[in-house]
Amino acid sequence: MKIPCRLLAAALVSLCLVAPARAHITPPVVLVSDRDAVVSLLAGARRFFVREVRLTAAEKQAIRQQTGWTPEDDFYRFYIGRDDQGRVVAATVFLTEFTIHGPVRVAVALGPDGKIKGATVVELTEETYPWVKPLLDRNFTREYVGRDARGTFAVSAGGGESMAQFYGQVVASLIQRAAALYETGVIKRGDAA
Amino acid sequence: MNGWHLSTLPLSAKVFCTLFLVGIGCGALAAFVQASTAVGLSPTAVEASLAREMPMTQMQMHHGQMSGEKEITLGEISSAAKVWIRTPLLIQTSHTHLFGQTLIAGLLGLIFLFASVRESIKTVIVALPFVGTLLDIGGMWLTRFVSPSLSVLVIAGGTLFALGYALITVIALYDLWLRKERLA
Repeated sequence: MKIPCRLLAAALVSLCLVAPARAHITPPVVLVSDRDAVVSLLAGARRFFVREVRLTAAEKQAIRQQTGWTPEDDFYRFYIGRDDQGRVVAATVFLTEFTIHGPVRVAVALGPDGKIKGATVVELTEETYPWVKPLLDRNFTREYVGRDARGTFAVSAGGGESMAQFYGQVVASLIQRAAALYETGVIKRGDAA
Repeated sequence: MNGWHLSTLPLSAKVFCTLFLVGIGCGALAAFVQASTAVGLSPTAVEASLAREMPMTQMQMHHGQMSGEKEITLGEISSAAKVWIRTPLLIQTSHTHLFGQTLIAGLLGLIFLFASVRESIKTVIVALPFVGTLLDIGGMWLTRFVSPSLSVLVIAGGTLFALGYALITVIALYDLWLRKERLA
């Protein structure tokens, strides 16, 4: 039985190789649907619009200087809520950061003045969720309400090099990027009304 | 193969092969449930998760246009808690699944090489999990970058992998435990 035993030994070694490969897969955790996030963040709106914006090279450069992040998508979509008179109540944009532990997706609501009205983490992964959950439980995104893209977006999650601190900063950065996008792609173009 | 058959393996090897096949089956079931809840099992659902996001406004018609706006109803915004697989996640998924599924297909094939079936049938069946894996992952890339309608390849690939696993498992288990031993 020498040949099969060697083959089975090889199979066992291969099995050991499979395990770490599979371990890399971190299933996503969707905390809230896009519609629920829009409805929640645009509370008070009676009519809903989609505004899609393609940034110029100069606008991308301006955002990069402001936030250190260069927008790379073909276009960005804002969900805009208006009241019965057609006035903008708020706009919501979804942004994602791809980390080594999977994507972090955030919905951010901005007022017509460009100030943050609220933010919701909509998607994480099974791996990152436990790190972010303590922050979500204390509703940490509330701290950024009222700030615009020039505000400070620091996180206090126990400090140090903790994963909670790291992912809290990822979320905070996404909120700042959303504010910068709205300011550059909508307000400065005179389209916020 | 070379006089060696699953039916003539020692008990320890039979137990190993059986538990491996059962374990992979459990993993495949879990993967099926994960895929159905996170993405969906229809070509339309796969397309919604994988295809590039297209503008909802008139920007779709005029590529050079810098902005567009239109009124929508809330019904037009996705209410499903579904995952939208963007390119970086596609890269991550591809590298893990290509390694993982190919190794699994290889181990399934290794067991099946010792099954007592005609060589032509064995050749076809042993290829199914490999072809399924390539169709599955390749279909994801084609759906995103060539045509959303190619999402059907992802479903076909998954089905081929599952079919290959099922055939290999049924035949191998039959050989391992039910086929009467033949002395070489």
